[in-house]
Amino acid sequence: MTGPQIARRALLGTALAAPFVRPSFAQGGDPYVIGTLFPMSGPNGEYGKLFTDGAALAIEHARADGTLRRPMRIQAEDTQALPQQGVIGMTKLVNVDKAHYVLVGFTAVSKAVAPVGDRAKTVMVNGGAVGPDLSGLSPYFWNVIPLAHLETQAFLPFLIRRNLKRIALVYVDDPLGDAILGLLRTELPKAGGELAGTFSIPRTAQQFGPIAARVRQTRPDAVYVASFGAQQAQIIKGLRDNGITQPLVGYSALSIDSVRTLPEAEGVIFTSQKFDYTGGSEITRRFATDFKARHGGEPGAYNANYYNAVRLFALLAREIERENGTVNGDSLRATLLRVREFDLVGGKGRFDDLGNISSEIQVNEIRGGRVVPIA
Amino acid sequence: MLFLQLLLQGIQTGALYALTAAGFALIFGATRIFHFAHGTSFTLAGYAFLFCWNAGIPWWAGALAGIVAATLFGLAMERFVYRPIQRHEGSFFTVFVAAFGVAVVVQNLIGMFAGRGFAAVDTSLSRATEVLPDVFLAPIFWIAIAVAVVLFAALSAFLTRTHAGVALRALAQNPDLLRAYGLSSNRLSMLAFALGSAMAAPAAVLTAMTTGLNEAIGHHVMLISIAATIVGGVGSLRGAALAGLMLGVAESVALQFVDTQWAEAVSFLVLFAFIIFRPSGIFGVAQTR
Amino acid sequence: MIAYAANLATLVAIFCILAATLNFIIGFAGIFSVAHAVFFGLGAYAGAQVALLLVPDALLACIVAAIVAGGLSLCLALPALRVRGEYFVAASLGLQMMATTLFAEAKAFTGGIGGLVAIPRPTLFGIEVGVLPLALVALALILFLTARLQHGAFGRSLQSIRDAESAAEALGKNVAAAKTLAVAFACAGAGIGGALFALHLSFVNVESFTMDQSVLIMAMVIIGGTGTLWGPVIGAIILLALPSGLAFLPFIPATEVGAVQQIIYGLAMTLLMVFRPAGLVGDLSKGRATA
Repeated sequence: MTGPQIARRALLGTALAAPFVRPSFAQGGDPYVIGTLFPMSGPNGEYGKLFTDGAALAIEHARADGTLRRPMRIQAEDTQALPQQGVIGMTKLVNVDKAHYVLVGFTAVSKAVAPVGDRAKTVMVNGGAVGPDLSGLSPYFWNVIPLAHLETQAFLPFLIRRNLKRIALVYVDDPLGDAILGLLRTELPKAGGELAGTFSIPRTAQQFGPIAARVRQTRPDAVYVASFGAQQAQIIKGLRDNGITQPLVGYSALSIDSVRTLPEAEGVIFTSQKFDYTGGSEITRRFATDFKARHGGEPGAYNANYYNAVRLFALLAREIERENGTVNGDSLRATLLRVREFDLVGGKGRFDDLGNISSEIQVNEIRGGRVVPIA
Repeated sequence: MLFLQLLLQGIQTGALYALTAAGFALIFGATRIFHFAHGTSFTLAGYAFLFCWNAGIPWWAGALAGIVAATLFGLAMERFVYRPIQRHEGSFFTVFVAAFGVAVVVQNLIGMFAGRGFAAVDTSLSRATEVLPDVFLAPIFWIAIAVAVVLFAALSAFLTRTHAGVALRALAQNPDLLRAYGLSSNRLSMLAFALGSAMAAPAAVLTAMTTGLNEAIGHHVMLISIAATIVGGVGSLRGAALAGLMLGVAESVALQFVDTQWAEAVSFLVLFAFIIFRPSGIFGVAQTR
Repeated sequence: MIAYAANLATLVAIFCILAATLNFIIGFAGIFSVAHAVFFGLGAYAGAQVALLLVPDALLACIVAAIVAGGLSLCLALPALRVRGEYFVAASLGLQMMATTLFAEAKAFTGGIGGLVAIPRPTLFGIEVGVLPLALVALALILFLTARLQHGAFGRSLQSIRDAESAAEALGKNVAAAKTLAVAFACAGAGIGGALFALHLSFVNVESFTMDQSVLIMAMVIIGGTGTLWGPVIGAIILLALPSGLAFLPFIPATEVGAVQQIIYGLAMTLLMVFRPAGLVGDLSKGRATA
């Protein structure tokens, strides 16, 4: 692994010595391989595209800026959000494609591939799943999305201010749902609220009429929905169709198109990282403008997170290139822990010792098919 | 009041299950083909309706498109998949696998062309209002029941009053007649597929309005249809319809007694119990070992 | 590349075990189960718990997994003794659906949807070993036993049950005992496959034991050829290699890779059944009666 790379680097050096060719040509040599382990098909295929769009834009920006000496390329492996497919894809990325950096999403897939990446010392970055069990899976497993407990914690004061004190929770009983359940149970009373009822649902459930009836009985002020993917839209429609008129609230998984464009989702309130696309930093504004130009719509939190994940790689690798080091899991990790704070979309992102980002949380509302920050 | 609410909701779901299950039972009874792609007819019909709705085509034309899509798919399956397999005297399991393969292909094609994930028709018909204190009903409740009643009445009239219908029923009750019928069984089998598949379409259209569709919805529909057919007693349309209704009600009313995560498992518990304790089903002729 | 190939080979070997054992009940006893992943899962959870709580000894994990899966196979044998054909498929479907819910809910045993993590690497008598040789040995053993049983008295009893159950009963064969034994043997084998799977991935959760997995295993058996010794092995290799092979094709747009894989996989199942119902390996004349 090291040998050929040093040789390549030497070649690169001579190429770069040729003065001031067009800047885009300054990137030469074998590309850095950014592996992606996203669901590209199956019921969660919608996420795969969101994630990839964000990552692809970051690569384009890095190329335009000449951030790195070598180009980057995406190597996509479809996981269908299943752990077994994830492990197959991850071993391919690590062993065949020699990926320098792997983007993952989805809790089960992340947990399944973490040991593979750990053994191969390949950095894996999650920007989609927010289960708190994703913290500290491996020194090489980082999160560029604030994990759910941070989001929910920051949400509670807002709910109380809005006088939404009795909360009913409709959740999928996975580590994420569990974490939110635990938080609401312990922290909500402290904040002056009350958990009115909890309703666990199978991930494959389709009928929400009967559940709505049970939820209605608890007379909540608001209903917290903790699921992900297409099921969320189904839950929202099911609750709204069956007499739930109270506000529906949730976390960042709600920022997908099938929810945003659903007429019943009008007024849904959810948390996400703070992104100010008009008044924010230059990086944020550039991301928003170019994303809009390319895809014809506002970017969502997931687009931004995977943009950030790839941008983080570019920033780390640039540091390593400057020191003429080799870009690998150890050097990336050492650089992350040394630099700690990065200019990312949404502002400064700061990483803790385990490689988890913390950033500001904002509250959004879906109004007229658009996600509008309200607090 | 919770019980009443759950019961009514169960009836709405059950009416749709009953329609789909009756279609499956009709096909299975008359042809002995385990039409595992029946759920795919349902999915196609639902998406055809959704497509027409989004294109601004009137609802009745959309529903018609759904029925046509389901029927054509059923006929194509009969002609191009099942008949060649049966010519080889392929077993029940060969048929099952072939149908499953088709279901996988169609599911992914729909995902590629119609988009993945949740899709629903936006209509106020599915919006429930309070009809009694704490009991909410949507207009679609009445539509679902009316559609089910009308279709079952029409179907039973067809099965008892027409030659073709009587022949189909004879086949269902006495499969050995299949051979005696010789060549004409081909035509009867096509009739069974056309009718049975068409039965899935109205349920699909209504589902597009209530719970919404996704490209994989056929799976669930299929499982319910199989369960209802077995619980009702193979060969009995009445049984399948009743069992479909019952499964819908059980799934919903169960929430009165158990936690929400167990609702889905209830249907299959009912199925499992029937197979162990009363394998002939509600109306079936004893067909054990 | 070698690690990638070894990883794939391990999964292939594990799925060969699953397909071979399912083939044993479908092909030799005529029991069409769509719940094989349930026993795969039981074995995986049992093996994982042994490794997590006691010692990560591969042999012990496999034995416990085989006992748990084989013991609970009575859930499957019971309806198999009561009904046959399409009824039994429905019963196994019901069992599969209930088991999926149970796996997701019985958190103490299965870790729920979150699953069991950090399962230690397997050892054998205290020495760390790879899963690949273990899986190959287990597979060889199962194939050997299948071949022996196929030609022995027990195998002939089973086949006579499959071909004409009432006749077999009339001839004084103990149908119930033979069926129960066949199911127990096959499910114990699936349990061993599960334990190896858990040790190999060091992570298991319910998503690996759903109906889709059961159907995939079934498709392996059917495509390879039921009732043949090597058919299921061929089927497992083809169906597992197919997606991995497609992943190397550059011309499929990234967002559609998965869908294209699934379409090919579905088409292969259908076309094979229409044109070669006995499967790839199956003898066509014999296949008609068996498959």
